[in-house]
Amino acid sequence: MNAWLLAWRNVLRNRRRSLVTILIATVGCAAVLIASGFALYTYAALRDGAAKEFGNVTVGAPGYFDRDEETPMQFGMADYRALTARLMRDKRVRRVLPRVALSGLISNGDKSVIFMGLGADVAAEAEVRGPFLEIKEGSTRPIAGHEDLPRVLLGTDLAKSLDAHSGTGLTLLGTTTSGGINAIDVMVVGIVSTGWRDIDKRLVYTDVPTAQRLLMSDRISTLSIYLGSVDATPAAFAQLSAADPAHSYKPWWEQSFYYHSVRAIYNRIFGLLGLIIATLVFFSVANTLSMAVVERTREIGTLRALGALPQEIVAQFVREGALIGVVGAAAGTLLALFVVLALPHAGFEMPPPPGRSVGYPLLVNFSLPLYLAVDAGIVALCAVAAWFASRKASRRSIVEALAHV
Amino acid sequence: MTAAIALRGIVKHYRMGDEDVPALKGIDLDVPAGAFVAVRGPSGSGKSTLLNVCGLIDSFDAGSYLLAGEDVGGLDETARTLIRRQKIGFVFQSYNLVPVMSVRDNVEYPLLLGQMAPAERRARVDEILGQVGLAGLAGRRPDQLSGGQRQRVAIARALVKSPTLVIADEPTANLDTATAQQVVDLMKALGARHGATFLIATHDERMTEHCDEVRALTDGVLA
Ligand SMILES: Nc1ncnc2c1ncn2[C@@H]1O[C@H](COP(=O)(O)OP(=O)(O)OP(=O)(O)O)[C@@H](O)[C@H]1O
Ligand SMILES: [Mg+2]
Repeated sequence: MNAWLLAWRNVLRNRRRSLVTILIATVGCAAVLIASGFALYTYAALRDGAAKEFGNVTVGAPGYFDRDEETPMQFGMADYRALTARLMRDKRVRRVLPRVALSGLISNGDKSVIFMGLGADVAAEAEVRGPFLEIKEGSTRPIAGHEDLPRVLLGTDLAKSLDAHSGTGLTLLGTTTSGGINAIDVMVVGIVSTGWRDIDKRLVYTDVPTAQRLLMSDRISTLSIYLGSVDATPAAFAQLSAADPAHSYKPWWEQSFYYHSVRAIYNRIFGLLGLIIATLVFFSVANTLSMAVVERTREIGTLRALGALPQEIVAQFVREGALIGVVGAAAGTLLALFVVLALPHAGFEMPPPPGRSVGYPLLVNFSLPLYLAVDAGIVALCAVAAWFASRKASRRSIVEALAHV
Repeated sequence: MTAAIALRGIVKHYRMGDEDVPALKGIDLDVPAGAFVAVRGPSGSGKSTLLNVCGLIDSFDAGSYLLAGEDVGGLDETARTLIRRQKIGFVFQSYNLVPVMSVRDNVEYPLLLGQMAPAERRARVDEILGQVGLAGLAGRRPDQLSGGQRQRVAIARALVKSPTLVIADEPTANLDTATAQQVVDLMKALGARHGATFLIATHDERMTEHCDEVRALTDGVLA
């Protein structure tokens, strides 16, 4: 008789009990797969967001990323046009966008507020950043009749605080590279949201020439390199930075603190969850098989008398545990796959994460390596639980086992 | 010819807490190969203990035991298991068949423990099932059989590997007189056919009539 068939019949010996155990393995497996799939989805979304926010790779002058500037544009780049042209020759590079970091005060005449600004190609930024830079009001284009005025877009919360709308005239105040104070009049053409409340409270977007005029500089802070896909980043980063020692290159993952902190927290939360589930499954299977072992004490004694070694008895129970694991993992995988496929149609929203003003869709990713690892883990866990449950009884005195009622 | 069993001065104590229960008090026993021998005695006289020692499923405290000429006294559990696997069959009072296995699977089990080719295994199982008269019931589960049929399956299971020794502790105690008679006859006939030595414990007077030898055990001492 096939040892696995025997194991299956033994599993079916107490149907209800085995079913409950299989169900626990099923739910445990599905829970781990769904939770990990959700974490993977979140990581992918954050990765996309970070790559869109910073660019796949950011280029700065040497020192820009390591030291604080003592005066504006101390580590600015003057040669950015040539560098942009050179970078654009690389096939993988889709866009190279200049950015000028600036800060100062923004005033509507009655009220002045600190702003953190960005001089950039606003239309191109809005395009590459897609849903990560949402235009809430107005547009990036000039307002008719005011084409000559420098344009700005404000973060939603900043606009609210200044009671500004598209068409409102404001004044930017900033420190120039030489330490003087400079002011320019600007016109609000749009209101945008990054989804980050702290950023939207201070955000001013303007074009590069306006930013440079405010700073009285011909430099920019950084160039953001956009590639075709996030996955292309590591290779492109390595090659671009190796080819250009005169500048400092940073991939998105060195820029995004948020990605790393969320990942660290999620890994810990879901790791703990997985540990709890594994413990639950382990003890459930161990408990079920311990009961089976006790019930079959006399049978164990009989088989031992007939010449079965303890390890052969244990192997039989391990096969039973593994079968419970296989059925549980298979059912759990189907359940998880169903959730993966059904969630996009359900349209559930997650509430905004801390610090953000917008939620995001509740989705779960599928990953073959993840599924294989979790399924193998469940089966192994059940097999080990069976070993744990049967190893003592298999070495027990045969005479005592035979006398067991 | 070497004796199947040669016991000299076998002593066995059970320890119950501080108490020391002597179960076998120096047993000398020679069972010739192929013999059909019964041990008779009142309850608690030590019959099961003696059979367990002979069947290598229990240890003893003093004395020597030669099984078919081989000293099995100092062996560890693994070595004893391998000897049981090859040379010793068991028939139990309450059959002890595996309920999830068919008749055929139960009988085949001892052969699966050894490394026998499937074709030979099948042939042997068919043969022995024919000999115990259960060829037609090979696919049944034990719970679909009568007590007498179950014990015949157990006899087939004990003999299928052509063991040197079959240990049968009260094999007929759960059977009615007529069935018990048939079971004893069958054991005796098949024992002779397979060249197996039978050591049986019983307090059934009717059984002992058919034995080559009947030894009386009283308080751990063989008469
Ligand atoms: N596990 C044990 N622990 C302690 N004492 C035991 C144990 N097994 C048997 N004994 C004692 O050893 C003696 C012999 O017991 P054994 O079971 O061999 O008798 P038996 O002749 O087979 O009896 P029965 O006819 O009732 O089966 C008895 O006094 C019994 O109480
Ligand atoms: Mg007894």
